[in-house]
This record gives sequence, structure tokens and C-alpha cells, in this order.
Amino acid sequence: MVNIEINGIPVQAADGSMLIEAADQAGIAIPRFCYHKKLSIAANCRMCLVEVEKMGKPMPACATPVNEGMKVFTKSPKAISAQRAVMEFLLINHPLDCPICDQGGECDLQEMALGYGNGTSQYGEAKRVVADQPIGPLIATEMTRCIHCTRCVRFGQEIAGVMELGATGRGEHMRIGTYVAKSVSSELSGNVIDLCPVGALTSRPYRYSARPWELDSHDSVSPHDCLGANIQVQSRRGELQRVLPRDNEALNECWLSDRDRFAYLGLAASDRLSAPRIKRDGEWQTVDWDTALTFAAEGIKAAGNSVGALAGYSSTTEEYYLLQKLVRGLGSNNIDFRLRQLDFSDQARLPAMPGLSLPVVEIESIDAALLIGANVRKEQPLLGLRLRKAALNGAAIHSVAAVDYAANLPMGQRIVTAPEAMVASLVAVAKALLVEGGSAPEGFAALAEKVEVSIEAEMIAASLKGAEKGIVWVGAMAAGSPDAAALRSLAALIADLSGCQLQLPGEGGNSAGAALAGCLPHRAAAGSEVDAAGLDWRAMLGAGLKALVLMNCEPELDCADSRTARTGLEQAGFVVALSGYASQAMVERCDVLLPMAMSYETSGTLVNAQGNWQGFGAAIAAPGDARPAWKLLRVLGNLLDLDGFEQFSSEEIRDELKALTGATGTIANQLRWQPVAPSVRVEGLSGIAEFAIHGVDPVVRRAAALQASIDGQGASVVRVHSTTAAARGFNDGQKVMLRTGEWSCAPMPLVVDDTVPAGCVLLRKGTEATQGCSSGFGPVELIPA
Amino acid sequence: MQLLSDASRAEIDRWIAKYPPEQRQSAVMAALRIAQDQNGGWLTNALMDEIAAYLEMPPIAVYEVATFYSMYEREPVGRHKICVCTNISCLLRGSDEVVAHLEQRLGIKLGQTTEDNRFTLKEVECLGACVNAPMMQVGREYYEKLTPETLDTILDGLE
Amino acid sequence: MNLLRSFKSLFLLELLGGMRVTGRYLFKKKFTVQYPEERAPMSPRFRGHHALRRYANGEERCIACKLCEVICPAMAITIELAERDDGTRRTTRYDIDMTKCIYCGFCEEACPVDAIVETRVYEYVGEERGDLLMSKEKLLAMGDKHEQQIAADRAADAPYR
Repeated sequence: MVNIEINGIPVQAADGSMLIEAADQAGIAIPRFCYHKKLSIAANCRMCLVEVEKMGKPMPACATPVNEGMKVFTKSPKAISAQRAVMEFLLINHPLDCPICDQGGECDLQEMALGYGNGTSQYGEAKRVVADQPIGPLIATEMTRCIHCTRCVRFGQEIAGVMELGATGRGEHMRIGTYVAKSVSSELSGNVIDLCPVGALTSRPYRYSARPWELDSHDSVSPHDCLGANIQVQSRRGELQRVLPRDNEALNECWLSDRDRFAYLGLAASDRLSAPRIKRDGEWQTVDWDTALTFAAEGIKAAGNSVGALAGYSSTTEEYYLLQKLVRGLGSNNIDFRLRQLDFSDQARLPAMPGLSLPVVEIESIDAALLIGANVRKEQPLLGLRLRKAALNGAAIHSVAAVDYAANLPMGQRIVTAPEAMVASLVAVAKALLVEGGSAPEGFAALAEKVEVSIEAEMIAASLKGAEKGIVWVGAMAAGSPDAAALRSLAALIADLSGCQLQLPGEGGNSAGAALAGCLPHRAAAGSEVDAAGLDWRAMLGAGLKALVLMNCEPELDCADSRTARTGLEQAGFVVALSGYASQAMVERCDVLLPMAMSYETSGTLVNAQGNWQGFGAAIAAPGDARPAWKLLRVLGNLLDLDGFEQFSSEEIRDELKALTGATGTIANQLRWQPVAPSVRVEGLSGIAEFAIHGVDPVVRRAAALQASIDGQGASVVRVHSTTAAARGFNDGQKVMLRTGEWSCAPMPLVVDDTVPAGCVLLRKGTEATQGCSSGFGPVELIPA
Repeated sequence: MQLLSDASRAEIDRWIAKYPPEQRQSAVMAALRIAQDQNGGWLTNALMDEIAAYLEMPPIAVYEVATFYSMYEREPVGRHKICVCTNISCLLRGSDEVVAHLEQRLGIKLGQTTEDNRFTLKEVECLGACVNAPMMQVGREYYEKLTPETLDTILDGLE
Repeated sequence: MNLLRSFKSLFLLELLGGMRVTGRYLFKKKFTVQYPEERAPMSPRFRGHHALRRYANGEERCIACKLCEVICPAMAITIELAERDDGTRRTTRYDIDMTKCIYCGFCEEACPVDAIVETRVYEYVGEERGDLLMSKEKLLAMGDKHEQQIAADRAADAPYR
């Protein structure tokens, strides 16, 4: 520690820290634009000039390291005059358009100009004008306002790992932009809106809709990935205006992924359901709540115990708990939320709660990782940031996947294979680990016999074995593949042999909460075993149940097999949907549509991947007659004469569940190796499928701006390797149909993409365009449309 | 399609070899110059993209370098690029007359190229030859102590 | 003291003093104005009914900066805004509730483009509450009608602003 004095106040600062950090710690305000605690130091705005004793010129506080005995003055005449002079220079080229600028009211430059600006300018010449260049549907640009702090450039370079914005030209001609016309593609691009100290980069969807001073801020949690990023939901007169990050160093730091930031746009979709509707004698009627709920309860009652329930990934834990209580109260165990999975053969052995075995912050300090079928960057963008930090700290990040994912971090070994060959690749890694010692577990030898250990597998094995703190990460594609059980089992074996920790992050927003609440066919609340396991979602839809309850999901889009979902819904007797939306498919296949409050409209709890129970209140009212799902389930429970539906608040439900799970609210257990069958070889084209980043739940799917972004647009195509395209005579952009068996989905453009292995076809699920396709795995055909 | 010729790539490799292997991008300025020479004195976006891919750096980082330095041209230039210094020393010694004479004789303004594609006239900052101001650079050659008469002889000497 | 007070009250001296003032004004020149035939003089700074102004080319001045809304101490102004097709920032709703307004003139002072102004019009009535709820259309019409006077008043006051 170093002792310094700022404005006469003694301050202690860490060795090598900068003056501005010491001042911030001591609560002494120094004006700044380019300095940001999470970014590198640029010292190019010069706003933080302060006077330092025995130094002739004022020094930039952000780039001056502390020294023992340093005496600093931030408010001395010399410092103030330097700051005022800098402000005058900054204002030379800054337009005076605050009244029409969206940053007005929360603008650093505006605030600082109030403190350090002059009433008039000595500058009389023409101001600099920069022609705008659109950079996508999420960020609005007004580059004339730019003060060249380069925070956005540094964010792309250092944090997001994708440098898309840059400072071209110099001096008067310097400008921030992409230089060539293109949209920014980073899944974290929205953060530059928060970083920009002026109104040069602002939110496009929020453009000209409100002023910061009229917004009510509500603390909430984002339900779109398993991190549970902390957010502020801001509303004006009860209308949602925007979502901003809330600092939480343990989870999202000060960042937010675009999906978390802009998903709220989907809440105001045109097919939003606002009144209960029932289908009586084939006719849809809008009715009051009493009629609708009685109608639903009668239909469910008539089904006896031939009833089942499907839930989406983004509901609150309380809703999952009541839903399973309802289904189990009716004498059935047919309940499932794992709609993005296809293989349930190992469900009994899986941990009771998916999640990470180490806190999110500790991901930064790992030194090796094996990602199995994981595109962490697009699945949990903010966990991707932690992995990137680990990689920059020297961790070796290896990948075994069916796609050569574009990484934003220095990757170690990458094994890119056809999806059915992933099992063999993992076997190779395990085999390489066994060479170094340890005994092959039962059933492994038969599997390993025909597998050759590649150099990559050897290197991965060596790196994992040598790691002090290594992780094996099972990603969404692995969890959603037909070989998921085998992949998980091998991942457990690799983790075991190499001394690494196995990570099974849930693929959805509240997977952990749903599992804890007992929204599973084989486990009741708090992971307790049930007598006889019920049906998983696929079996349920194939079983032709007499009644089916859907909660917060659109099976044709949310299920990993859209075709099964469609036929299953058609076969089901009576379908009750607690839904936020009345899409065409829902109207066609349901019998009752009960409007429910979506994220930000209801109170509840989300459990994230590290087991935090994060509660939040409702930020805005749901539209029309829509009600929180827990209230609907409670009334349904009462109408069905079931016990245990007397709760008056979501907190009561949470406490009821918490009493079952125990004080910590998480369940720890470990997955072990279990012999697996080798996967089936695919003749011809092999399908690869994963959920699109913006196709993960009904709300995100309807956020128009996200769908218009590069990630959103890129989801509605099929991708093949250039050699495969050439061999089959397909051109880039040509319309093709994907066919499995005798079933084919609507024509989609084909994109030649060399990240897909040769002989494979990559499909992104969860979007309108790919609705109607089957699981997307296994043998597929491409037919010109 | 490969835009950079094999000879250019070999030349760039020679520069890359001068830096530690993980710092390939240090060769960006040399690579841009080589590409510019290969392409008749100016850089296209496609060329810069190819350099970015070759040096494993983001394209925008290459654009930043190429736009920062005035020696890199992003528009086609004439056979002879005339760079007149108009900084303080040259200005005091009459560089404005040099510019006026050149403009009048070539019939173009600063920053333009003659119709026959022979000359491009450019204003540049100090080239470090103040001792013999005013000066200009044509191609790689410096011409110093300029007067309208010497300018005419120089221009006549260029084809 | 007591004696003096008794004397005063006995002879009604204070009453007479008051009557003297009354008497003086009885014969002085009157300044009563015969409204509505006659009008009292008015300052260019008079704060009456609001109006929204336009530029000479017919474009509305208001840019929906919302400063008048936030400064209004009576919270009488309600603004909603959106991006117009040409990309400019415009109000889609500009309401002033005249029953709330206290005519302080802060809105006019806050306006960076002289869009919202208070005119000399003070004679207006509404038979229903709703009549006193001024919409954007009504305010713009008001501005169009009185533009000459408004402009002259702003010009007269300009040196002091």
C-alpha cells in the first residue's frame, strides 16, 4: 500500500494503482470520459487532469500511478483551469443538440459541462460534422456527437473480443465506426450504449421514447440464460421502456448481453394474449376468468390421470413448483421442462439440479477447459466473457463440437466432427487420459477398441491432466443431442480421470429452478424420487394424453423436435395453455388460452447456474386480463379440489419450496461414468441442430430488433460446408428444403459456411423459419426448393 | 481469390519474421506498403481485408492504420504522386506559391488527379526537409528549394 | 394610556380617519376599466393561454425535448413522442391541462426552441372540464392564429432575455 494525499485527505492506495482509482475509492470525484474501470487506460480525453505537487504540468489522474507521499489536488485553481480548458476543447466540435439527444439527462458530457463548461465558446468556426453509418438494428449512431473517448473501441477489443468498431483517420478527421458498411455482430454489442459517455451510440429500439428522469427503475433478473444477469427494468407510466444492467461483480459485472437487454421488446408483440379464450364446439370465444378457468378445470378433470404438463425454460421457480404440484395432485408424473433435450436415458443419474460446480467468478481463474458441444459465447454470453478472461490469463480452452464455433478467445485444440462422431472424439480423449494412468472403467474397453487417439485428443488430455483447476463443460448442443447421455457420461469420465470439475450448466434461463421445483417426470420437488417416473416431453406428446397443460412455451418452437410437438399436440385430447401469446399454432392446437404475465410482469424467483435464488418483484402490469401464472395455477388447483393451493403470494410458494430444499436451496451431487452405447453412424448428410441465440423463449423470439440483428438473421438458414455444397451442386443463397424421412420443412436459404464440418447440415431451431423441421439430427436430405 | 501476389506475400513474410511469432500484426505497416506498391499506388478494401486475414488481425484494425497515415492511399492515384509540404517552414518560404503554380499548371486542385492519370497532387505535413524549404516529394524523390522555374523543369522531366 | 384610548373611542377618531381616506378617493380620478368595452394595458410578458408555434416554413417548432414537462410545477403537461418518418424527434401527444396550469411561465422559459409560449389570450372558458384540456392540435391552432402577436411580443422582450 502507498500513502498519498488527495485534497489534503490522506488516502491509502494499492501499489501500481492509478490516481483516479485511489480517488474513486476515497469518494473524491474526478471528472472523466475515457476512463472506465473495466477497460484499459487510454488517457485520451484529458478530462481527469489534476495537479500533482512537484510536477510542472497537470497530470491525467487515470494514467498517473500513485507514489508514496504524493500530494494531489483535484480542485486547485490549476487543476480546475486545466479541466475547464479541456472541456472547452471537447465542446468545440460537440453539437448543441441536447434537446433532441436521447442521452440528454444521463449524459456525462452534459453533466460535466454544467460543472466545467463556459457559458460561451471562443470558437467561431464551422463545427465538424460526421455522416452517419448505420451499424445495425440495436445501436443508433449520431457520430457528430462523438468525443473520441474510444471506450466502445476498447470494449470490442478487450471485453467482447470482436473488434468491429475502430477509430479511422486522424486529428480532425478521426471518426469511430466500422469503416466499411456493416452491422456489428457481437452478442454483447449493446454494452457500448452504456459505455458511450455522450449520445453518439444510443439504443435504437429506445430511440426517442422517454427521458431518463421520468423512468421508474425496478430491480429484476433476466430469465434468458442460466446466469440470471441482474438488471434494472425501467418503465414510464406503467409501460416498459428499456432494460439496463445492474452491477453485480459475482454475476454479470456491469455488462449485459443483447438478448437480456433487448428481449423486452417481445413483450409488446402483436399476438400478445390479453384476455382468456376458450374453444367451445370448435369456436373461439373470449370469456371472463371464471368461465375460462372452470372450463379448463372441467376439461382437465375429465382426463383423470391421463394428464401431462410441459413448461418453457423461462418461468419462475414458483410457477414450476405449482405446476408440478397440480400434475402430481392429479395422480400423474407426466411433467417436463427439458424441451430442448432429446435423450433422457440417463435422467435418473443426473444431478438433481443442473449448474456449475464453481462460482462464476472462479471461471476466470481456471487453467484448462474442455467445452463439449458448447458455444458458450452465444449460449450464455456473459459466462463466455469469464471464459475469455480465463483464456487471456493463459488458460487452454479446448473444444469438441460439431461446429467450429467462431470464438472470441484464443482457443486451444479444436476437434470438429460430425455430431454422431462426438462420442468417439470424447472416447479418444478419455483413452489418452487412461494412457497416463488410471484404470478403464467397466464397459469402456469395448467402446475404446475401435477409436484411435488423435494428436488433438492427446493434447487435450495432457492439458486437462496438467491443469490445477480444470473444467469439463457440457454445452447446449451436447445436452440437446440424441447422444446426450453418452456425451455426459464420457464428460464425467474425462473429468474424473483428469481431476477436472464437470459443469452441466442448464441450457435454459431457469433450468435449475425448474429442476429444484420438481418439474421433472422422475423427480418431485427438491429432487426427491418418485415411485414411478412419468413421461418425458417427447413420450408425453407421443402418448396421446387426454389433457395437456402448457406453461410459457410454444411446443412447436420450444421443443427440440418441432414435428413431434405438432403431431403430439394434435393427438392430445384437451390442451390448456398458460401463455403470453396467441400464435397461430397455439390457436390451432389449444382448447383454452389463459393469458399469463411474462417476465418483468410477475414476481418470483429464478435460480441461476451457481445456485443463487434471485427474487424480484413485478416491474410492470401485465396487459389486459393477463395474470401471473402462479395465481392461475392456484385457482386451477382449487377448482380441481387439490390440497396445498392456498398461497397468497409468490413468496409463500417460494418459502414452501425452500422448506423442502433446505436452507442453502441447492442440491449437490456428482455425475459418474456409466457404460454407453456407441452412436449410430449416419449415412449421407448428417444433421446438426442447436437453438438459435434469439430463439430460446417466446419473448426473445418476438423481439423484432434482435431478430433483425446478424445473429437473428443468421438463424433462418441452413448451413453446409463449401465442399458439401459444391459436391451436391448448391450455391450460396439458394433456397432449399430440409427433409428427414418423408417430412420436409419450408424452403430456407442455404448458406455456405466452412465452420460446419463437411457432410453435415446445420440448422438453428426455435425460429419461425425452422418451425416444422424434425429434431434436425440424424440423416437428412437437402432438396432444391 | 488471392489478391496479394506470391512475391508480395514473400516480402511480407520477410517482415513478419522480424517480430515475435505472436506479434504478426507488427508487420501491418510494411504489409500495407507492399500491397500498395503491388496495386499501383493505392489500397482497396479487399486488399486490406486480405492483409488482415494474413496477419490474423481484425480488418478494422488494418483500416485504422491505413487511414491514419497519409502515405497510404485509399483512392486511385496518378503515376506520379506529388506531395507538397505546407507546414510552417515551407509555408514561410513560399509553399503556397508552389501549390498555386502546381495547381495552375496541372489544372487540378489539391487532392485531385489529372485526367490523363499522370499526376496526383497532395498536401502533406512536414517531411523533415525544412532546411531546404519549400519542398515536395514525387514518388520516392525529394525536390527541395522549389521555385516556379525549377518546378517546371521537374514536371517536364516526369513522363 | 388608558385615558387616551377612552378618548379615541368616545369621539370615534379612528373611524373618522378612515372616512377621510374614503372621501379623498371619492373625488380622485377613477381608474376602473369598463371591461369588456375597455381593456387594461398589457405587458408583452403577459402569461395567458398557451400556444405551440411553428417556423415560417410551417414546420412545428416543438422537438419533444420534454423540458417543459419536467419543469412544470403543476405537472399539467403530458408529452409522448416518437421518431417521425423523416427521422426527426416529434411529439405524438402534447397536452396541457388548463385546470392544473398555474401560469408560471416556466414551460416557456425552459423551451430551447421557443415552441411553447404563453399568449395574451386570457379570456377562454370551457363548459366542461374536457374543454380545458388542450391538445397538440388546439395548441398549434392557437399558435397559428396569434403568431403575429406572439412574434412581436418575443421581439419586444428579446433585449431583456
